[in-house]
Amino acid sequence: MSSTFIMHDWRLLERIVGLTNRLGCAYTRVDVKASGEHYTANIDFTGPPDALRRLSTQLNRLLNDDKELTL
Amino acid sequence: MSEPAYNGSQLVLDVLADEGVEVVFGYPGGAIMPLYDAMYNHPLRHILTRHEAGAAFAAGGYARSTGKVGVCMATSGPGATNLITGIVDAQMDSVPLLAITGQVPTHLMGTDGFQEADVTSIAQGATKRAVCVRSVGQLERTLRAALRLARGPRPGAVLVDIPKDILTARCEPLRPRMLNAPTLRVIEQRADDAALDEAAALIRQAQRPVAIVGGGARSANATHLYRAFCALLKLPHTSTINALGTAQPGDQRYLGMCGMHGWKAANLAITKADLIIALGMRFDDRVTGRPDKFAPDATIIHADIDPSELSKIIPAAVALRGDLRDTLTRLTERLSSSPSPTFEAWAQEAQALGGPPPRDRTPGAELSATDVLDAFFAQLSPDAIVATDVGQHQMWAAQRQHAAHPRNFVTSAGLGSMGFGLPAALGAQIGHPERTVVAICGDGGFQMTMAELATIRRYDLPVKILLIDNQRLGMVRQWQELFYDRRYAHTDLSDNPDFVAIAQAYGIRAEFVGPGDDLEAAFERLLQANEATLLHCACYPAENVWPLIPPGGAISEGMEPVTA
Repeated sequence: MSSTFIMHDWRLLERIVGLTNRLGCAYTRVDVKASGEHYTANIDFTGPPDALRRLSTQLNRLLNDDKELTL
Repeated sequence: MSEPAYNGSQLVLDVLADEGVEVVFGYPGGAIMPLYDAMYNHPLRHILTRHEAGAAFAAGGYARSTGKVGVCMATSGPGATNLITGIVDAQMDSVPLLAITGQVPTHLMGTDGFQEADVTSIAQGATKRAVCVRSVGQLERTLRAALRLARGPRPGAVLVDIPKDILTARCEPLRPRMLNAPTLRVIEQRADDAALDEAAALIRQAQRPVAIVGGGARSANATHLYRAFCALLKLPHTSTINALGTAQPGDQRYLGMCGMHGWKAANLAITKADLIIALGMRFDDRVTGRPDKFAPDATIIHADIDPSELSKIIPAAVALRGDLRDTLTRLTERLSSSPSPTFEAWAQEAQALGGPPPRDRTPGAELSATDVLDAFFAQLSPDAIVATDVGQHQMWAAQRQHAAHPRNFVTSAGLGSMGFGLPAALGAQIGHPERTVVAICGDGGFQMTMAELATIRRYDLPVKILLIDNQRLGMVRQWQELFYDRRYAHTDLSDNPDFVAIAQAYGIRAEFVGPGDDLEAAFERLLQANEATLLHCACYPAENVWPLIPPGGAISEGMEPVTA
């Protein structure tokens, strides 16, 4: 599963990594670039399909909360 | 010393007040001293607890019982880390909570300074968001956004960490917006029409539907809509522990709590159902038991505000992503057109699948905890607020409670935090000074936070404390008996202190009841008291909670006592 995330708080990456590990998934590529006040992360995940599906929905929730409270 | 010029600390308090926050629960310390200094003459009410954990749990109890954001605060380092369990507790049960922590000055961050802890990293996985404010210019916007985020759409916990130099930095005084403590955000997310049509069609086709309501109904203030929905369809329905009190009191089609210690009729009806209507619940493992055997013949309709919950555990045939008030309103509209489907016969069949939870027989003359709780709830008004701690007494209380509203039963459901009950009750009493508030605690959990008796005394809170003392960590003991070959490792608390003497030492009225004492009279004295009172009930140590879904078992496989 390849995903692109736009983050306001780059520490979110730490949480993405933690959640990926917790759900028994892994990443094969992490590429983060800063652009102005945003950070764009391109991440390739591997793992069981069910876990990847849960990971995807939970990451969307994290990103929504990140949008709500930015510094 | 003269009053300081307007600074970040005053701004924090003014923003909280402007957002409608009426009370904060906290404990001062070094890094947060400027904020406490600003509190010296600020009208915002502060409740000083005796431990930061107590502050977080009290804020949770306040939030759960009122629907408003609970706010707690503590200093950096140990103060902040002591809040963490209460923060996670709120997050797990979708309770709106804002934690404000002091932090060492910006120039000391990252130097292992005195009382420095990287609390935002610690709290990252435990909250919706955990942020550290780096300039006074960010304070107002951050705090307002934090409160908004805590409120929803799905409520939860947010932590804002503020370095000491930001708290003392001069800034422009707040320009108030005079907001009125909103408990909910406007409906932003609505289930789509096609999904609602599909759900309505499935309900019309169903023969054996069962509704399961979760804490989302309380969060969405949808209790009345849920009751109307069930009444319209004459629908058998059940509740997670987090939603107890959502069903209309006296509703004969309500099957009781479902799950690990749920009522047999509820668990068996779910197992026989051909349609599950899951409303604001998340299929926790304590509810589903073995998930592949959960409702094996049922199609699932799942309504929730949080898309990450939909099909997370149990695949949904129809997912209704949206605010439950809106979902229930529009689903009910679709089913109101004549003829509405009704399921009266199935509801009667479901009700007959099981009676009240079975119980152990208590040998000898010792008090049975279930007898105590039966007698207690018989005297307690459904309008009273009950806060429980965690363990056997919690499950017995959950099985027996008759709350008239889901905000009347306050319990640590998802996280199961021992020590929650007493501070949560004091928080609920702060939110409802005129109402009867009862803390039901076990002897293990009570001792984790019993220092909050001092808080109860200080603020003259008339909290009633029912202490179910079986001199054991009862739930663990029960599992040792059933699943660990009776190897009772470290669950014996028979050297408990004299709880009556402890309460009295804090200035709390206290009474002991044991075998042969008049329970009903003791409850009457407890509930009639207009001051804080503790009733210490010495109970039989080996009584178990039944039914019990064994580890890895299906909810249709509830264990019951052999002698029942």
